[in-house]
Amino acid sequence: MRAVYLGSMPVFVAVLALSVGHPTNAQQATVTSPPPEIADKVQLCASCHGADGKPVVEKVPIIFGQHMFYLLTELKDYRAGRRANEIMAPIAAQLSDDEMKALATYFAAQPWPNYSEVSSPEDNARAQSLAVEGQCTQCHLGGMLGDSRNPRLNHQKVDYLTQTMTDFRGGVRKNAAAMAAIVKDWSDADIAAMSHYLAGL
Amino acid sequence: MTYWSKKRAGGAAACVFAMLAGTISVASAQEARTHTPVTQDMLNKAESDGNNFLHTNANYNQTRYFPNQQINKDNVKNLRPAWIFQTDVVETMETTPIVVNGVMYVTTAFDHVYALDARTGEQIWQYKHPMGQITTFCCGPNNRGVAVFGDKVYLGTLDGQLVALNAQNGSVAWKKDVADPALGYSETMAPTAVDGKILIGTNGGEYGIRGFVKAYDAEKGDLLWTFNTIPEKTVGVWATHDATGRDLHRDIKAEKAALAKSGDPYKTLGGGVWQNPAVDLDTRRIYFVVGNPSPDLDGSLRPGDNLYTDSLVSVDLDTGKYVCHFQYIPHDVWDLDSVSPPIITQVKTDTGETVKGILHGGKTGHVYVNKADDCSLIRFSEAMVPQENMWTLPTAKGARMLPGANGGVEWSPMAIDADHSLAYAINLNQPMTYQVESTPYPEGKLWLGGAFKVIPTEEQWGNVTAVDYNTGKIRWQAKTEQPMIGGVLATAGGLVFTGEGNGLFKAYNAENGDVLWSFRAGAGVNAPPASYTVDGEQYIVVAAGGNTQLDYKRGNAIVAFKLAQ
Repeated sequence: MRAVYLGSMPVFVAVLALSVGHPTNAQQATVTSPPPEIADKVQLCASCHGADGKPVVEKVPIIFGQHMFYLLTELKDYRAGRRANEIMAPIAAQLSDDEMKALATYFAAQPWPNYSEVSSPEDNARAQSLAVEGQCTQCHLGGMLGDSRNPRLNHQKVDYLTQTMTDFRGGVRKNAAAMAAIVKDWSDADIAAMSHYLAGL
Repeated sequence: MTYWSKKRAGGAAACVFAMLAGTISVASAQEARTHTPVTQDMLNKAESDGNNFLHTNANYNQTRYFPNQQINKDNVKNLRPAWIFQTDVVETMETTPIVVNGVMYVTTAFDHVYALDARTGEQIWQYKHPMGQITTFCCGPNNRGVAVFGDKVYLGTLDGQLVALNAQNGSVAWKKDVADPALGYSETMAPTAVDGKILIGTNGGEYGIRGFVKAYDAEKGDLLWTFNTIPEKTVGVWATHDATGRDLHRDIKAEKAALAKSGDPYKTLGGGVWQNPAVDLDTRRIYFVVGNPSPDLDGSLRPGDNLYTDSLVSVDLDTGKYVCHFQYIPHDVWDLDSVSPPIITQVKTDTGETVKGILHGGKTGHVYVNKADDCSLIRFSEAMVPQENMWTLPTAKGARMLPGANGGVEWSPMAIDADHSLAYAINLNQPMTYQVESTPYPEGKLWLGGAFKVIPTEEQWGNVTAVDYNTGKIRWQAKTEQPMIGGVLATAGGLVFTGEGNGLFKAYNAENGDVLWSFRAGAGVNAPPASYTVDGEQYIVVAAGGNTQLDYKRGNAIVAFKLAQ
């Protein structure tokens, strides 16, 4: 029964995205221009995250269409040193609160790019079991679409997901303690399966 | 209050939807009803009102017992869908429909409100809450329904607001910020309306809030009083055992050292109030239960009993002043807290005296029976689910203990039949490990202090249990294939209604637990049922929208049933 249900997940996700109408989920089809006061900052972001929302550097996440408050929180954590990253930390250090809010608002309003990975039935089965154990949908919600504080994982970049879960497991990323506790005992194969599953939902 | 399961619901009811299409189109031609102002007298008499369903839990005593017996044990086999209303939101549904003289008010995930014609399901109006971009909530984007009073409908929202709507058209009369969602506060409970006041608690025990119950003026929204569920001195009496007398394995010496070093943890100690208070208008007291301490699993950062978490609390209705409390689990590190709304009813003491009592279904799997006048414990029931290794402390690797962190009885309201002194509870059996990992307060982020992990290899199931609250003995149990979450309705027709994650909505014989009727709704039926009567016909109504917490199949339906002609 579960395989049938999850097999239909893309349809379910599409219906959910349309019908729920999350205020923070991008509903528009095209990328818009940023407000002038953050235009140069957005250009800098695009050099890694992509001008069209598709990242152009490995292990860099999709931020177009991500939830506003999550993006804002992460920028603040980079600035405060709660999330370590040698590229993002110095960038965030130069941003004011207003700039962070404007950037998070702008990127949240952009459409999630068309990106997907193929996941194997074996990966899906392993990932689903891990999702049960870790109770992932309690926070990331149905379809792993996230909300406000909790990032959308659905169709996130596979290499970024793998890196992030590995960082949680290794204590490198410290700004979401609950995630560290959940992935603590996961193997590399577990993380790989979950990454492909999420990227291919 | 937390966390979930492995089983998913299945099934569909396409044929039923097709069958009903004609009914709906005919009904929609009828004239929609308009709102009748709700007087205090109506709210007071709800317990004997066989037409309306005016309170989330049926009446101020929260008995969830509906006095009409038109639908009963003999004819329930003829119960059929009268109409189905599909909302715009396909997500978890925990709403209790409120019915006022033929007009029904229901809510959805993400805080939409609909007014419907209760005879036909025809929409009268819809309110879609303009959600702020900051929300912080546990266990799904839930809403458990509205309160009604006068010409207004009252809604709590995920972004921490209390909203008053004009009942005639759904326009906003006023709205107030109850608490800051960036710090972990959110509203999922239905408010309670009483004597010109709107009472509301808060979620946030997973985020290091300081919990409360607040009273607002129903007409204008002014804040009247606030009761902090976490007092400034939370240490208590260093209790070493829980309400059932079992050793909590606390290291009191270490806790005292932590207290001396870091002080009282009251500012971030949690203590959410997830569900409606019971209201005793004779004594002008309210009774509610307080949820878990923050962080859930890590007691090292919060020395002491952590008052008034995991407690029954009574305060004065008019002033919000403390009256009494009883703590079921001092210094809880398992999140086996108190969520299911308390019930006021007459109970027998062990000496045979009849007194006013308070019933609460705990996540421990016990029904607790307390005295209303001083909150003291009279008895606790037999365990309704397996209990193993209680109270094993959480470990870094994860320690197995039953019940899992969802209970027992989760937020699901019980119902009672006072004539037979029976309480009807729905339970989960969901084996988990409890894993602790100490981390400092994360400023509004999820703060569990570790993780609850479902054990995927162990069987999960649920049950419906009838407990004699005058003896504590289990009268009957009916096992279900999935852990149960949603709520119960009992009726004078000798019936108990409750739904399941697999989409089945069932009527049980209240005396012995026999299943007398069922209907497959196509999505998880994980909301408390209600009942009402219009034009001489009794209806049973329930939401079928699945559940985020247990990941049961989502839907968007309100389904009303009545007897076939």
